[in-house]
Amino acid sequence: MHNTRFLTQEFEYFVPHTLSEALDLLFTYQDKRTKILAGGTDLLVKMKTLGIGVDYLININEISEIKNVELDKGLKIGAAVKLSQLEKMKAVKEEYPALYEGITSMAAIAIRNMATLVGNICNASPAGDTIPPLVVYGAKLRIVSKKGERVIPLEDFISGVGETILKRDELVSQVIIPEPYKDLGSAFCKKGRVKADIAKINLAVGIERDGDICRDCRIVLGSVFSKTLRAYKSEEILRGKVIKDDLIISAAKRAAEEIKPIDDVRSTAEYRNELARVMVEDTLHIAWERAGGKRW
Amino acid sequence: MEKEQYDFIGQPLEIKNIGKVTGKELYSSDINIPGQLYAVILRSPHAHAEIKKVDYSEAVKVGAVCIGPQDVPEIIYNERIVSIPEKTYRDRTVLPKEKVRHKGEALVACAAETEEKAWAALQKIKIEWGKQWKPLLTLEKALSDDAPPIYDWVYLGEEKLKVKNNIACERNIEVGDVEEGFREADIVIEKTFHTQRVYHMQFETKSAVCVPEADGGITVWTTSQGIHNVRILLGNIFNLPLSKINIKRITLGGSFGSSIQMNSITPICVALALKAKKPVKLVSSREDDFYDHAKYPLKTILKVGVKKDGTFTAAHCRVWVEIGGHNIQAYPYLGCVAGWFASLYKWKNIKYEGTAVYTNKVPTCAMQGYGNPQINFAVESMIDILAEELKMDPINLRLKNYVGKGDEFWGQGPTVRSIIRSCGVEEMLLEGAKLAQWEKRVPHYQKKEVIRKGMGVARGFHTSGTGGPNPGEVIDYSGATIKINEDGSVDVLTALMDLGGGTWDALAKIVAEVLKVPFEKIGIYNGIDTRSTVFDVNTHATRGVYCGGGAVKFVAEKVKEILLNYAATLFKDLPENLVLSCNKELGQAIIYPREIPENYKTIGEIAEYAHTTSWGTLAYTSTLRQKNCPPCFITHFVEVEVNTRTGEVKIPRVVIMGDSGTIINPNLWEGQIIGAFSRGLGFGLLEETDYHPEDGSLRCKGLVTDYKIPTTLEMPKIEDIIVRSAHTYEPTGPFGAKGIGEAALSSVGPAIANAIYNAIGIRFYELPITPEKILKSLQEKEENLRKRRGE
Ligand SMILES: Cc1cc2nc3c(=O)[nH]c(=O)nc-3n(C[C@H](O)[C@H](O)[C@H](O)COP(=O)(O)OP(=O)(O)OC[C@H]3O[C@@H](n4cnc5c(N)ncnc54)[C@H](O)[C@@H]3O)c2cc1C
Repeated sequence: MHNTRFLTQEFEYFVPHTLSEALDLLFTYQDKRTKILAGGTDLLVKMKTLGIGVDYLININEISEIKNVELDKGLKIGAAVKLSQLEKMKAVKEEYPALYEGITSMAAIAIRNMATLVGNICNASPAGDTIPPLVVYGAKLRIVSKKGERVIPLEDFISGVGETILKRDELVSQVIIPEPYKDLGSAFCKKGRVKADIAKINLAVGIERDGDICRDCRIVLGSVFSKTLRAYKSEEILRGKVIKDDLIISAAKRAAEEIKPIDDVRSTAEYRNELARVMVEDTLHIAWERAGGKRW
Repeated sequence: MEKEQYDFIGQPLEIKNIGKVTGKELYSSDINIPGQLYAVILRSPHAHAEIKKVDYSEAVKVGAVCIGPQDVPEIIYNERIVSIPEKTYRDRTVLPKEKVRHKGEALVACAAETEEKAWAALQKIKIEWGKQWKPLLTLEKALSDDAPPIYDWVYLGEEKLKVKNNIACERNIEVGDVEEGFREADIVIEKTFHTQRVYHMQFETKSAVCVPEADGGITVWTTSQGIHNVRILLGNIFNLPLSKINIKRITLGGSFGSSIQMNSITPICVALALKAKKPVKLVSSREDDFYDHAKYPLKTILKVGVKKDGTFTAAHCRVWVEIGGHNIQAYPYLGCVAGWFASLYKWKNIKYEGTAVYTNKVPTCAMQGYGNPQINFAVESMIDILAEELKMDPINLRLKNYVGKGDEFWGQGPTVRSIIRSCGVEEMLLEGAKLAQWEKRVPHYQKKEVIRKGMGVARGFHTSGTGGPNPGEVIDYSGATIKINEDGSVDVLTALMDLGGGTWDALAKIVAEVLKVPFEKIGIYNGIDTRSTVFDVNTHATRGVYCGGGAVKFVAEKVKEILLNYAATLFKDLPENLVLSCNKELGQAIIYPREIPENYKTIGEIAEYAHTTSWGTLAYTSTLRQKNCPPCFITHFVEVEVNTRTGEVKIPRVVIMGDSGTIINPNLWEGQIIGAFSRGLGFGLLEETDYHPEDGSLRCKGLVTDYKIPTTLEMPKIEDIIVRSAHTYEPTGPFGAKGIGEAALSSVGPAIANAIYNAIGIRFYELPITPEKILKSLQEKEENLRKRRGE
């Protein structure tokens, strides 16, 4: 059994002030058990409860290059930006409502004051609340190492429960969210056991409207598979079609067939299958209305 | 009914003791003693296994002080000594000697200069296990003939008993003739109900600090609802005279009943300190605490007979409780469940059969209601089932059969019986119905919406204390020393604990009222220990105000007598000619001859005179046993909204009627009721400590991440929580007061279940009623309808 009153392991602790310092450290200790510490709201919990062994801990909160948000044709969010900082931004609330709803659905404010967006992504939990909205908005990640940098779509980043494609000498420095399509409607929805909880299911949808037609759409669900899941077949039902209630209903049904939930402490697979259908249906309606579409 | 004018009683309390808000309040875990060691506990990885050998030599080599099964006294005890010794089952030692009986049972403890060092040392301990058994996690499994015995024998009092089929204890009671009663009935209904294990989730995890003193004694700060019982037990276990043990009374960070018994970690801490010959501090982690205690579950088969006019003829109640790896208080629990069952309605003939069964799970103990919310769920659900069958309004059926004024009431099982002298049941049902707009309630079959509204009612009660005309199986008395200080302020020394509900404030008010000394001038909050106080049994059984308050009132009246007698010598008058009153401008109690109020002296002046003339201190010490335990009643009218697409339940509004006699602190009283509603919401809709069926571990791993209790966001808005008090006066209570704490929870669960039934026409027999269960039942209902229509 663990004891969450204290950290039982010993490790080296670094607080670099520049990105290159951090990357040097990552490079130097790439063969050791080295971890990035952002808000620590996942990492410290795991160190205490799962006994994750860490030899070197690199705190990235003092690196000024990654502490801000750039508002230029979309959003560029640094890795040390706190969730509570994002939820206070007008641009986030108005342009990316699903992200705003995802963030504010998380934990309590004390946690959001510590936690980062990048931490939520890199933690790669199937229940991460910001991941479905970010996939809906087509977010990309800037990944840097001492040797260079690469930008890859978030969708390709997470490879399994708690697993990403990140190499041992790399870190994520920035989340890049493109400017949304002018008639994009998006929404987020989450069900937990209580209001502030890890999701039984979370999901985000985005619909790009062209008149009565859904030009393109994304339906992304969490907590229903080993990683965030895109309901491609469900999207197919809507894409290029005139949006009507019955179409939304069948898209929702389809989405519920695409997911592969399990029984766990938070809920059952059976319930999740039912719930997914209802949630997708309701959230598609909201998104369509937000896109300026009419209800039929 | 007498209506007195009070100076302090019944006024909303301006809280002066704000330490809890500013962080200044000290709890056991805040106590630090120079040179102390920190302790951690190794808990069993197995649920049921033989301990062959515990080897902590490697841990000692790195500087830790360790205790294992071989180091603790042989004394077999029960950590709860509220019942008389002849009725107390004993099955445990400080650490288990032969085998572990649940996963997470404390097995070895280490102390070192830091928690981290102690933890590192703990990792070096080697345990050799003998035979291991598959954990018995359910009643059925534990009772089956081929189940391995969890205990071979236990003690009841001094008698050694063989344990058969893992049955920890039984209790059977019969009053009248149920078979005859069922024959008289027009309708007989039998149903099976289940309530689940939940975790107390008190804020403060259990903690202890123990200092070995130079005289061979010990001083202990520990999370506890009753310091004197902790002292008696430690004296017994460690063979120390009680005069060498001092237990400090320290603020509790909540308990909900989890510290009625001496906590399992307390003697572990003491044993370590005695071995180390140094102060030791032991603070439980949340997971330690999760593996230490839980609420008793209950399976109930209830059969009730009723005549067409709604009069009951008989009730047969069979209950089973799986208690986990130790019997902390299952025997009195079974008695109390019988009492709660027998005292809610006039069943006429009753038969009760209760069985407590050992399992390989966390030991269960009292939690807010001690079986009352559990059995109330069965009874109050059943009343609604019967009402529907009889085509009667559920309120009328309740009014027709409730046990009220003049009736006999079992306050603490069958051995503590008394006559009810105050009762607001009728007022609460009728007034509550008006406030809740009961008349607008429509039957479930008229509802077709996606979000269906429903309203349910349930009523409950709890005893105030455990005293009867004759002392029964339960020890119940309290006491105090009260002294008027040299400046006219007053010290109240009582061992009674405040569990966070404001009991000390209530006691201070009672003393203020008797002595007419302003509330602010009563000192009660700190500086108390077993050495400076007379016995108080425990703050449990909703007895704080009624029994503890009764005792301080009794002692305060003695002090008043001493004061008036002394004042009479100063005024050269008779004590009965003197008036004691409160002068709010002066902020002082004053005394004057009846005819000449302007001739007053403040009691500050009088006390000072007693002091400077070396007359002595105006003080008194005594104990008091209350010879009643009046029921405090509660009634819940709950509105629900059930989402038929997701199974989610919302509670938009609730009306709660309480009957506590005179209310000492109205705002704190309301706080108890609203707080209990939140806990009831968790009990009704959300909480359960699930076990892994293979290894007997908690599925939440002892972490709050996966054990949810409702937050404020699950509660109705504060303006939609309507709380009202009945107009009653309890003649045996201090200033007419009874209790509230546990009563407040008793009927929340069934009120919610009844409301859900009214919304969707589905009766739930098992708590918690989760969205998962609701949605599944709705689908099954739909399916059945379709089948019936031949689709
Ligand atoms: C009480 C509580 C409630 C919570 N509720 C929710 C909830 O409702 N929804 C939800 O989704 N989550 C929830 N969480 C989880 C957590 O708060 C979030 O996932 C948060 O966003 C993590 O961010 P962080 O900055 O704290 O990450 P950290 O814990 O610092 O890091 C998480 C992981 O990412 C790695 N990492 C961090 N930054 C980088 C980087 N720049 N490059 C590479 N790797 C990196 C770390 O090494 C670590 O493995 C909760 C946590 C707590 C304690």
